[in-house]
Amino acid sequence: MLVRLEAVTRTFQMGSAPVRALRDIDLEIEHNEYVAITGPSGSGKSTLMNILGCLDRPTSGRFLLDGRDVSLLPDRQLSRVRNELVGFVFQTFNLLPRATALRNVETPLVYAGIPAGRRRALAREALDRVGLSDRAQHRPNEMSGGQRQRVAIARALVNRPKLVLADEPTGNLDSATGREIMEILDGLHAEGNTILMVTHERYIAEHARREIRLHDGAIRSA
Amino acid sequence: MVALESLRIALQSLWANPLRSFLTLIGIAVGIAAVLHVVGLGTVTQRSINERLESMGTNVLLIRPGYSHMRGVRTAESVDTLTADDARQLLAESQVISVVVPTYSGQGNAEFQGVNWQTRITGTTPEHLEVNNDALSVGRFFTDREVAERSRVAVLGDTVRAELFGGRDPVGADIRINSQRFAVIGTLEAKGESYMNPDDQIFVPLTTAQQRLFGMDSLSSILAVMRDSADFEEALFDIETILRRRHRLRADRENDFQVRRQDFFLAAIQDTNREIARFVLVIAGVSLLVGGLGIANVMLVSITERTREIGIRRALGANRLHILVQFLTEAMVLGIAGGLLGVAGGASFNRLQIGTDAPLSWDWVGYSFAICAGIGVLAGAYPATRAAWANVLDALRYE
Repeated sequence: MLVRLEAVTRTFQMGSAPVRALRDIDLEIEHNEYVAITGPSGSGKSTLMNILGCLDRPTSGRFLLDGRDVSLLPDRQLSRVRNELVGFVFQTFNLLPRATALRNVETPLVYAGIPAGRRRALAREALDRVGLSDRAQHRPNEMSGGQRQRVAIARALVNRPKLVLADEPTGNLDSATGREIMEILDGLHAEGNTILMVTHERYIAEHARREIRLHDGAIRSA
Repeated sequence: MVALESLRIALQSLWANPLRSFLTLIGIAVGIAAVLHVVGLGTVTQRSINERLESMGTNVLLIRPGYSHMRGVRTAESVDTLTADDARQLLAESQVISVVVPTYSGQGNAEFQGVNWQTRITGTTPEHLEVNNDALSVGRFFTDREVAERSRVAVLGDTVRAELFGGRDPVGADIRINSQRFAVIGTLEAKGESYMNPDDQIFVPLTTAQQRLFGMDSLSSILAVMRDSADFEEALFDIETILRRRHRLRADRENDFQVRRQDFFLAAIQDTNREIARFVLVIAGVSLLVGGLGIANVMLVSITERTREIGIRRALGANRLHILVQFLTEAMVLGIAGGLLGVAGGASFNRLQIGTDAPLSWDWVGYSFAICAGIGVLAGAYPATRAAWANVLDALRYE
């Protein structure tokens, strides 16, 4: 079992009123699953995604990632979990604007403490995987949206994470480019990666093998 | 390795805003330049004071004409009260004074084969050489007989020699001092830079200076050498008694001369210097403080601008320490770059103000960099802490 959520809730304090973004979520995801999290906006998709990516912690309940309870880990170890187990693909790409494609892809390896030479080789390999070997020295503002998202995917893959999280990965792209990105994600799944994406688009969700629908912070059907 | 990466990121981000970075480090640079200048100036002054102390010894008293006062009111400017007879009488009467050197100095023009040089003409006696620890480079000094005969002979300081003769041998040549012909009989070795360059003067017999060149009977000063520096009190008493009697000063009148011990005089210069140094160091401290605040300010701006970058890095696995180190490095690089500019500025300022042999204290260059790095870390501490403890999700969403 790669992911196991037990009665996870997440409550935000909005002014004086508590808002329950997630209520009693129980969820299990196996290795090499391809899961889409869908639901209307405000249903808790992003909150769930953030907890799965160790960017946020549940208010109550347990979260086991790869068999380890990460809901109470201190910052240093949680950062390490993010670094080693999780790869992020964001809707807005979130590339470092001043760094080249290659540097962007290398960044997770810097924090993993991998020596420069090996870092470079792994980053080139990852760029190669998304078909961008010839753009290694380009900066984000010199690339198209589709290319930027491919750099982001290369960066998510470079540390060989157990879980790839994609938050609306095609949300900022035209449909043709979106299809290219989805082909890459499909390919990654075919190679054995576990992929979990958040989307509100029907045809994107259909790429996944399983759909989790959220409504008002609770799972509708698993 | 993360440290190396932090350094790379720091340089990159500072380079992305070159003007901002440059303006930020000016404060630090000014402070460091001021510190190095004070240290350089202090070293030079101390060196020249030490040299003078060594050459003068601590048993020499300087007697100069002073002002006459009556009940606090200056009655006359009496700069011509000291005479050669005063000097002779001091030597004759006082048991503790072993040598006197009466001196008259004035400005004059020296000329040799069309080359003119304005310089100080010092009339003195043969004892001058030994008391001042001067050494002849060539030729000889004048004799008592030449003093008695008001001979037109001159001994040149090294600066005057170089200006008038360049590489040629001056001994035996005739020069003109205030249009009168003088034979050059010797030159002195250079004593080196000091205040009132001692090499820029010409020595002639006292009587020659007084009667032939300036038409004065008085003296500019008398150097009185004590047998032992422990005789100071007694020597002072003798000088006052003898001179007051000779100058017929009534009991209600103040001395019309001043007596100073050379080493005390130099100690006073030293004190003044220390005061100036303290003052400049305070300014340097303020400048460094302002520089540090500048760094803190720029770091806060930079961190706000890069909130999103911080979020991205955290999402990719950077922990708080990574972020802290990254921004502390950036602040430190700013500080050290300021230090570098300050050292360069201080060095060239010293060269300009003090001279080519101005010492750049390597110890202080080292301290400077330590101070700058320290200021950087202090200034960066709060901004970097804020960056490191920022909420990851908020940082990622920051527009």
